[in-house]
Amino acid sequence: MAMSIEEVEAAMIAKATKAPKPQLYIKDFYKCDPDRKPREIKNIANKLVSKGTLMFWSSGSTTMYALPSRIKDEEGDEGIN
Amino acid sequence: MAKHDTPMLDELEKGPWPSFVTDLKRQAETHPDCWDILGQLELSYRDKITHWKHGGIVGVFGYGGGIVGRYSDVPKQFPGVEHFHTVRIAQPSGMYYSSKNLRGLMDLWDKYGSGMTNMHGSTGDMILLGTRTENLEPLFWDLTHDLKQDLGGSGSNLRTPSCCLGESRCEWACYDAQDLCHHLTMHYQDEIHRPAFPYKFKFKFSACANDCVAAIARSDFAVIGTWKDDIQMDQAAVKEYIAGNYPSNAGAHKDGDWGAFDIKKEVIDLCPTECMWMEGDELKIDNSECNRCMHCINVMPRALRPGKEKGATICIGAKAPILDGAQFATMIIPFIKISKESEYEEVIDVIEKIWDWWMEVGKNRERVGETMQRIGLPTFLSVMEVEPIPQHVKEPRSNPYVFWKEEEIPGGWERDVVEFRKKHAA
Repeated sequence: MAMSIEEVEAAMIAKATKAPKPQLYIKDFYKCDPDRKPREIKNIANKLVSKGTLMFWSSGSTTMYALPSRIKDEEGDEGIN
Repeated sequence: MAKHDTPMLDELEKGPWPSFVTDLKRQAETHPDCWDILGQLELSYRDKITHWKHGGIVGVFGYGGGIVGRYSDVPKQFPGVEHFHTVRIAQPSGMYYSSKNLRGLMDLWDKYGSGMTNMHGSTGDMILLGTRTENLEPLFWDLTHDLKQDLGGSGSNLRTPSCCLGESRCEWACYDAQDLCHHLTMHYQDEIHRPAFPYKFKFKFSACANDCVAAIARSDFAVIGTWKDDIQMDQAAVKEYIAGNYPSNAGAHKDGDWGAFDIKKEVIDLCPTECMWMEGDELKIDNSECNRCMHCINVMPRALRPGKEKGATICIGAKAPILDGAQFATMIIPFIKISKESEYEEVIDVIEKIWDWWMEVGKNRERVGETMQRIGLPTFLSVMEVEPIPQHVKEPRSNPYVFWKEEEIPGGWERDVVEFRKKHAA
């Protein structure tokens, strides 16, 4: 049975919590629900950003996703890397 | 009064050419932080290493693009550039600015940033160089509410679409590039402002093959205006060119010492497909061989015009990176109707077919042209549901092996792979 949006969100948060690096590419989330198209996963990830659960992190050339708490641990409140 | 000694940078002010060092010194008179740009750059020249750091938590709320974070790694020495973020502003279609709009943007940047700009970045955005994190939200508010402009794309987003000035001024335009550019910019707002792809993706729209926005060289998805029927020809005007009564190239080269116009040398012999010839005093074109390069039309604009059945060619996969080598786009769809009435549904279908495939199989930080190269054109064409045609082939094959799929052979074939592998290990 297909996963609900809430289940996919939970899987994505778990992924962002457990991943070795705090910053993830959108592709890293695809396996959270292999039955969904990549664009649907992208839309769910962006919803999580608008809720403040995830945040965008820019490497300068690539924008990635991260849990705000893990980024703060890594970079401090200033966000300077 | 200079804040730092910059003997090496000062060398760059010598000579007759314009100098960014002089510009920065002038700017520093009203924006003292600019002295620290010069100071840090001098230090970089001395240390032979950059002192900029990229990235971090930088942006405006809800947007994952448009701001590129940049910090100094020597902030105590150069506090004016401790934060020095880049802001990308979406350019209007065809880059039509009013002077009022430009003054408004410059006032905004004087208020919140260093005042330094880069007009324009290679994607076409107006680049504002150097502001602090705490200035980003107020700047974004004023930009969107007072100037009614938006941030452009950055990171793994759809980059700000750009187009030539198209039908607004150019008689060669084969479709309304500005309208298509604007329509797709609005249609794909989410993809522009939030990361969506394995890597950056650029749209560029040129309304004819003169390709004024260099779409074929610099965009992942190039829509280049073309026509399907025959070049329109006025034989009387051809004769006027030959007689020297009309200037070639609309007079663009009239000040050079090129001698009398020679239709054979300047048009016929330069046709890349050799599809033109003279019969008596009449110019003939084998339109079935013409590849719509537009050279002849550019040279004799009063005699030749694009055909009447207009549309566009779609080329996919160009990139112009510094490190890995530039790549031109590959022609995938020779002709597509560009229809405003259908809200460009045909073009959108092609775009989304590419995205669905690339988002699935593209590696992180791999442009679609690189994915095409890695996977191979035959697979890409089948994904796009495009029948291969001779024009997809760059040169006659040098590889003697031809790989057929079972469904391509009448009657197919039966093959026991297990049995085959007993004798031929994988």
